[in-house]
Formats: sequence, structure tokens, C-alpha cells
Amino acid sequence: MASTACFIIVSRNDIPIYEAEVGSALKKEEAVQQHQFILHAALDIVQDIAWTTSAMFLKAIDRFNDLVVSVYVTAVIIHTRLMLLHDSRNEDGIKSFFQEVHELYIKILLNPLYLPGSRITSSHFDTKVRALARKYL
Amino acid sequence: MADNPQTTTGGTALGRMLMDEITPVVMVLSTPAAEFSCQKNAGLSLLQLLRPFSLFHDIDVPVRTASEQPYRLHMFRLRLFYPSEVHQPDLQVTEERLKQVVSDAGEAALPELLSDPPQLSEVLAAPESETRPSWFDTFNRELIHALSFSDHEAFDHPVACLLIVSSNDEQPINKFIDLFNTDQLPSLLNEGAMDPKILKHYLLLHDNQDGSPDKATNLLAEMRSTFGSNDCRLLCINSAQGTVGEWNDNPWAPFVSVSQQSQDAEFFLNVDDVSEIMNLMQDLSTKHIIPHMEQKVRILNQQVSATRKGFKNQIKNLWWRKGKEDTPDVPSGPTYTFSSIESQIRVLGDYAFMLRDFELALSNYRLLSTDYKLDKAWKHYAGVQEMMGLSFFMLDQSYKDAENCMESAFNTYLKIGSSGHRNATRCGLWWAEMLKARNQYKEAGGVYFRITSEEPSLPAAVMLEQASYCYLYSVPPMLRKYGFQLVLAGNRYYACDQNMNQTFAIPKLQLPVIDISSVKVTFEDQRTYASSVAGNVGESLWKSLEEDMVPSTVTVRSNWLESQTKSTTLKKIKTSSVCVVGEESLSISGYQKDEELKKLASDRVQSDGVSSFTLANAEFVLRGGESIVVQLQVIPKVEGMLKILGVRWTLSGSIIGYHSFNPNQMKNRNGRRNVKHSSNILNFIVIKGLPKLEGYIRKMPNKTYSGDLRRLILELRNQSEYSVKNIKMKISHPRYLMPGTLEDMNIDLPNHLERKSIPQCTDDVQRVGEKSNNSFLFPNVLPSLDVSVQITPCPSRLQEFLVRMDIANRTTSESFWLHQLSSVGYRWEISSLLPSVSVCPSQVLLAGQAVSCFFKLKESEKWPSCENNFIMSRPFQGTDVRLSYEEKDEPLLDISSSPLADFHDQERLLQGNSQVSIYLFNASGRFTSLLD
Repeated sequence: MASTACFIIVSRNDIPIYEAEVGSALKKEEAVQQHQFILHAALDIVQDIAWTTSAMFLKAIDRFNDLVVSVYVTAVIIHTRLMLLHDSRNEDGIKSFFQEVHELYIKILLNPLYLPGSRITSSHFDTKVRALARKYL
Repeated sequence: MADNPQTTTGGTALGRMLMDEITPVVMVLSTPAAEFSCQKNAGLSLLQLLRPFSLFHDIDVPVRTASEQPYRLHMFRLRLFYPSEVHQPDLQVTEERLKQVVSDAGEAALPELLSDPPQLSEVLAAPESETRPSWFDTFNRELIHALSFSDHEAFDHPVACLLIVSSNDEQPINKFIDLFNTDQLPSLLNEGAMDPKILKHYLLLHDNQDGSPDKATNLLAEMRSTFGSNDCRLLCINSAQGTVGEWNDNPWAPFVSVSQQSQDAEFFLNVDDVSEIMNLMQDLSTKHIIPHMEQKVRILNQQVSATRKGFKNQIKNLWWRKGKEDTPDVPSGPTYTFSSIESQIRVLGDYAFMLRDFELALSNYRLLSTDYKLDKAWKHYAGVQEMMGLSFFMLDQSYKDAENCMESAFNTYLKIGSSGHRNATRCGLWWAEMLKARNQYKEAGGVYFRITSEEPSLPAAVMLEQASYCYLYSVPPMLRKYGFQLVLAGNRYYACDQNMNQTFAIPKLQLPVIDISSVKVTFEDQRTYASSVAGNVGESLWKSLEEDMVPSTVTVRSNWLESQTKSTTLKKIKTSSVCVVGEESLSISGYQKDEELKKLASDRVQSDGVSSFTLANAEFVLRGGESIVVQLQVIPKVEGMLKILGVRWTLSGSIIGYHSFNPNQMKNRNGRRNVKHSSNILNFIVIKGLPKLEGYIRKMPNKTYSGDLRRLILELRNQSEYSVKNIKMKISHPRYLMPGTLEDMNIDLPNHLERKSIPQCTDDVQRVGEKSNNSFLFPNVLPSLDVSVQITPCPSRLQEFLVRMDIANRTTSESFWLHQLSSVGYRWEISSLLPSVSVCPSQVLLAGQAVSCFFKLKESEKWPSCENNFIMSRPFQGTDVRLSYEEKDEPLLDISSSPLADFHDQERLLQGNSQVSIYLFNASGRFTSLLD
């Protein structure tokens, strides 16, 4: 499991709808904010790259010192981006993680009571994502 | 004859930078006497005297290096240094200089920082040259200068030596020889990193103030015979009388420090002297240095070709180096003396580069890089890679190669440890400039960012700031990256105490003092708009009224939709004040004190919203020592949180200041309602619009008599744009006030009946009842008529009773005119004792007067049968007795008509099952007494 991993789902207008620190390292207050900064800044790159490829998994697109940002762009109309800030180099694991989280996200979207683009508050989703992080990252 | 290979890249920032920085170095050695003559001119040193003339823009020198094809150099530059300066600058000195650049820049930018920052869209629209701070270049140059005179590269090694001796010196010829032999020569020359046999130029300086130049001319002839006729020259200065010169239009101004400029400047140089100096420098470069370099390039090239070029030489070289592989790995790599072939190739490459023959330079650098790599001389290798990258760039060839070279150089410098970090920085700067020249701003930003990892705080901060600008200028602008890098830069600036970029102080200016403890927030309470008297009604009264109408507690259901955020907002709501979109106005008042006369203009409340509220500006003049209260208004327009952070002001239209409110020091005075937690009094939850009901009672009488029946009209007006539904009304004293019906409005009261309270609901609502949160103050109730009734069974008839009614007028001034007595209900009928005689002795009851009347009360025959059928539906059909006998024509009042009937119904409900009511009427009121 990666020592640092910050997972975030960004919806339309760059609004985060889900965020989870899934790394095994102890959480530091300033680190969390730094992660948010890095992920936010990486959106600039995503914006560039997302339209150059048909793949949904964009691999590692940005880095900050030894932290890498991997991104998975969904094909949903509201342009949801799954972003992971990590320090491990396990690309296959990250890809599987993204795919399964994407599946979970689709299930959330299928819920008629969920307003697309709103915050994901389901604790079930949260538990599942953390389990996937343990499994793949 | 081809032009020199100056391509488009020469015009870029990096091209200019390289042509400034990678130019031949000339070492200037002088005697104290020569310096003294020179310093008569406003304290200029010889170096400062010569420096302005070491840049040549319009020369035309043919150059032929390795190829047979000559080309022409049009621009050239020499760098002049004293021998004491020819060494790597001290680390600490560099730090100080860098700090100085940043603080100078901070000071220069102060006025800009004081004003509002420009909008991002404006910045983006402006060209880069306008928005990018120019001090970046200065800073970068300082950073690069910190690396001058390294032994692993040759372009900083002096190409020539200018020896200057004054004609005043004793034995000038010997002085020339001494000058070059002293131990003061830089270590580069002494320690064998460069060839000590460099080009020397001998200059005899003659001060015309010391006499005619004849003696000097003789000396020159002597010099020529000693050192060779070509390399000697005479320079006469100080030909003019002393004139106080202006620094502004003087060629030296850009080259001397500001402090030196502030001194009195006296010049003894006339136009001839200046043109003499110019000629000297031009001849030095075009006739001596360039040909010298040319020649050296040719010789070295021949040597290199002989020993290293060709297949045979390559094999030989490889074999020879393989043999050396066993040598232990030294971190700095093997040392190369000037005579080694590697150093010579490097000199060849650098000379070729300085003469702008980039192809020759490139081919030699290439050759050298493989050698250094095999030798594991990493610093040298990195230096060569760096130069290869720059050569590629200057040739405007293969971008990819140029970048690869820079990257490899950068990484190699980093690899060799701390000694290479600064080199890596320089390499990175050039690399970033290279990328910028090709509009690859994004990548340039990345390079700047990579530089920061190894630098101390201040350079790192500047690099990050430059990186942020790169992201800003990239197409499309990467604003998020821009912001992030700026934040990082700010963080670094903060770390090295250079935080003047963020904060600054205004000295010696008396700012208005804001009396924080008196800052109050008054906001119109959403629950009442009434007067303060109405506001003093106790909360418990309102609560008791609300009891049955408002659901007591909202039951909170929790399911999966319930999120954390909800509960936190709820918590916030509890501790914050609530205000309503669009209609509430908050006013903040505070005292301001000052000691001088000042004009404050454009005061406004700063808030964290964007433009979701309107702010009021207040303009006022504050005299010395005066303190005034300023009221400012905020009207929120959208839902959300409203935080009042502080006030901003502009003093006399120029000085902007702000003051944050510390909420802990403030009291809340929100009209009259509950006092909130003080820490949150400046936080407001703006909720969406609420209807605003206003209620009035027109013509409220200011006094009334007990039993007086009046019609009161309550007008409710909804001032908001939101419709009101389901209005309920509850009356705190139902005995005194009862709702009427719509018909009551139309009754012409004086003719029809007495007055009666008629609250009127004008809204389109389901009329369950009416509720208003207004309280009205009713007039004082004065004692009026005292009516007592005594009933005795009639001695003669079983079904009849005798009624004696005593009426006393208790008022002090009013007279009552008795009109009629009525009984209510079916069971009892009332009549006068004698039908023909008047019941009452006097119809008018004066103040204080009392009167007794007698009646007959008879049980109705119809009573038992109609009880069940009618009593509920029409209970008031009673009998009337006229009390007035004078006006027999006047009709009796019908007590079963609606307002009176309602009233009676109400009274019955409240007082129990009274069956007989006796009404006394007069023109202005109604009195009742109930009989059981």
C-alpha cells in the first residue's frame, strides 16, 4: 500500500464531490492542504491532455517532487475526473483502482436520488473506495 | 563572404543573454598612479572608465575560423575585470547581492503593491514584457554571475590582459613587467587551469594635467622597442579643465553605483579624451583580441584534427582511455591542466562560441563530451553538455537535441552533489529561457520548479515566482498552476523573511483609529418592524401565543441522504445571526478617531462574497481629534454566509487602508432580540426571502369605556415579493378583541349599530384563523356605567320576575343617553312594568348620576319547545325595551344582527351559560350586564 495517496473525484466546474486520504502514512494537516493544491493545479494538465486521447486512464500526468498525479477521466457528460495523488509506481494497480471506483461511481449515478454533480455522501461508497485502495495501491 | 551565423535565436532573451555573458574576458592590471589619474574624474576607477566602451554595436570585423569561408562580426562585447575579481564569488557575498536585488525590487514595486491588484484578465491581455517583473532578469544575472570563473569551463578565462601604467610612475617599463609578475594574479592562471601565456596589451596612461605628453611619447617609443610595436599604446586623459558634469547624459552613469552618482562629479575629460578611449577599446577588440582568438582557434583546431579526428585517432583515444578506467572515482573528476588535450578542445569550443562559430563549437563540444564521460569527469561533462545545448539553440537547429543536452547537463550537475547545485541552477535558467524562446512556457515552468528543489529559500522563491509567470503566459493560461506556484513562492519568501512582497508598512502617517469596542452590528430583525415599545413584549407571551400554531420541534429524520455537511451548517446556524436576502439591511457603526485633519472617502465594508451584496459608501471628513460614528450598510442579495470582516477606506483619495474587526471585542445589538454568541456576531446566514407582513390598526381610540364596543380595522400588508400562505391569528386577550366578518366592513355603523372590532384579513389565504406577530397597545379602559341588577320573583305571577336595574354613571365628564335594554335568548322576555309609562325617569345620564329602573322578566312560553332547535342557530332573538320615551319613532337596534350576535356568542362562551343578557345602548357605546 502506498504511503501517500490522496484520492479525489472532481465533477463539473472543478467541484470536488468526493475526497479521501487513503495512504498508510500518518496524516499531517499541512500535507492534506498541499495535496489539494497539487491536485487542483494538475487540473490544468488534465484539461490539456484529456482531449488528446481516447483513453480514459491518463496515467501519470503531473508530478510534484516525488508525488505523482494519475488521472482517470470518465466519459460521462458531466466530465467527472478521478484523480489520485500517490508516491507509488504501481501503474496497473492504479488503473484497476480507477476502473473499479468508476464502476462504483456509476452505481452512485444510477441512484435516482443522487443529483449528478453533488457531493457523494454515501458511506457505503466511502468504505468501498478505501477497501479498493487497500487492495490495489 | 558569409555573414556570421547570427540567426533568429540571437534576438531572443536567451540569445541576448548569451551574447552578453559568454564574451571574452579582459583582465585589467593597473598601477596606483594610473588609478589616481583616473579617479580625478568623479572617482571613477579605470575599469569604470573603460567599461562603457567595451560594447561594440557597429563594428564589422571579418572572422575566419576553421573553415576557409570568412564571416563578419557586427556586434561584440568585452568583459573587463580586475585580477582580484577573477575568481568565483564568495557564497555569502552572492547571497547578500541576491537579497539586495529582491528588496530593491520590493521597494520599487511598493506603490504598485499599495494599489489594488490588477484583474487577472487585464494581466492576461497585456503582453508579457509589461507584466513580467523586470527584476527577474537582474536576479537571474546575479545568480549566473555567482558562477563565473569556474575552472571547468573556459569562456570566463581571460583572453587578454590590459596592463596600464601611468607616465608618472617611475620606470614605467619595469612596472609593466612587475604588474604581470605579482602574486596577485588569479588562481586560474597560477594553478594551471589556463594558459599563463595570454595576450598582453600595454597601455601608457598620461594625465595631461601633469604636463605635456612629450615625456609620454618618449616612453611609448621605449615601450615599443621593449614589448613590440603593436601591443603598446598611449592614452592621454584629463585634457579639459574641471567641469561639473551631469551624470544623466554621461556614458558611465549605468555602470556606477547610485551612491557614487550622488557625489559631486567633476570631470576633466573632454570630447577628444572620450573618443580616444573609444578608439582604444575598439582597436583592442578588433585588432588584437578578435584576431588573437581567431588565430588560436585555427591553431587549436589543427592540433585537435591531427590528434583526435579520423578513425585511427578515435580508436587510439578509446584504447588509451580504456586503460585509464581503473583510476578511482574522484567526485570532482580528474583535473585537466591547460596543456591537456581536453582543456584545449574546451578552449577551442569556447573561443569558437564567443566568435559565434557555433558549428565549430558544437563539433568540439561533442568530441569533448564523450571524453569526459569516459573519464567520469561529471562536472566537465555537464559543462560541455550545457554548451552543446546552447550551441544547438544558437544554431536554431534540432530543438530536441538542445533540450536533451540541457536536461542531461542539469541532471549531471545535480548528480555531483552540492558543488553542482548552482551550476544546475544556471543551466536550468538557460534551459528555461530556451523553452520560453520557443513558447514552451509550460515546460519552462516545470524547469523553474525543478531548480527550486536544490536552492535555498530566496532563490527558490524567485524561481517559483518565475515559474508561476510561465504558467500564466502559457497558452492556454494555466491559472491553477499559476496560483499554486505563487502560493509556493509566497511560502518560500515567508521562510526567508523577504515578506515585503506581501506586507508593507506606511511610516509616519496617522491613520484613523477605529474604536473596535464600539463597533456594533444592528440588523433589522426579521421578526418585527414595529416600534421599540412593541419590541419589549416578553418572549414568553409570544411563545404562549405560538404554542398551538407552530409545530413545537422539527423531527430530524436520518437516512443515507443525511450528510455531515448538513449538521455542520445547522450548528453554524445556531450560532450565527440570520438575515434575509434582499431586504435586510445591516448597518455597522463604529467610532473613528484621529489626530490630524484627514478626509476619509469611499468607506466600504469588505466581505468575503463577490458581488452578492450591495455596500454603502460613506464619505466624510474627519477633523483632528474628532471622533464620529459611521454607519455602513450591507444588503445581501443571495443566500449563503455573510461575514463582515472589516472596513476599508481611502484616505484623501490615495491611501488605502483596511481594518479587520475582531469580533471578540464587540457587542451585538441586533435590535432587541436575543444576544448571539459574540464570536459569530459578524457572521450571518443569509436565507432566502421571507414575506414581510405589516399590520396597522387605523384610528385606534386613545381611550375607551368599559363595555364599549368598537370596530377596529387591522390592515395587513405584505411588503415583500413573496406571497404569504396560511396566516393564522391569535389574540392574546380574546375577551377584548374578537374577529369579525367581512360583512362588518360594509356596515354603516352609526346608523346601524354600535362599533365593534373587526380584524380584517386581506390575504388570499385559507382562513383558519389569523395570526399576527404585531402587538398593539390598546387604550386605557376607563370605568363607565355601573349596572347592577336585582331580580325578585313576582309576587303575583309565577312565571314572572321583577327586575330592578340600577345604573350609575361613573365617568367624570361623560353623559350617557340610554337607548334600549334587550334580553338575549328565547327563554326570557323582558318588558317594562307598565307598557305605557316610561321605564326610566331620565333618559340622559349625567356624570355621577345614578338611576333605577324596573322591568318585568317573563319566561317565554315558547321556550321548552324551541330550545333544541333554535338555541344554537339563532340564540339572540330576544326582546327589547325602549328606555327613551322621547324618541319613540326611532327604531330599536337589532341585537341579533351579526356583530352584536357574535359578541354575545363570545361572551357566553367565556362567561358560562348565561341566558339573559341585558343590553343598554347609548349613542356611543354598548353596555352589557349578564344575568343568569
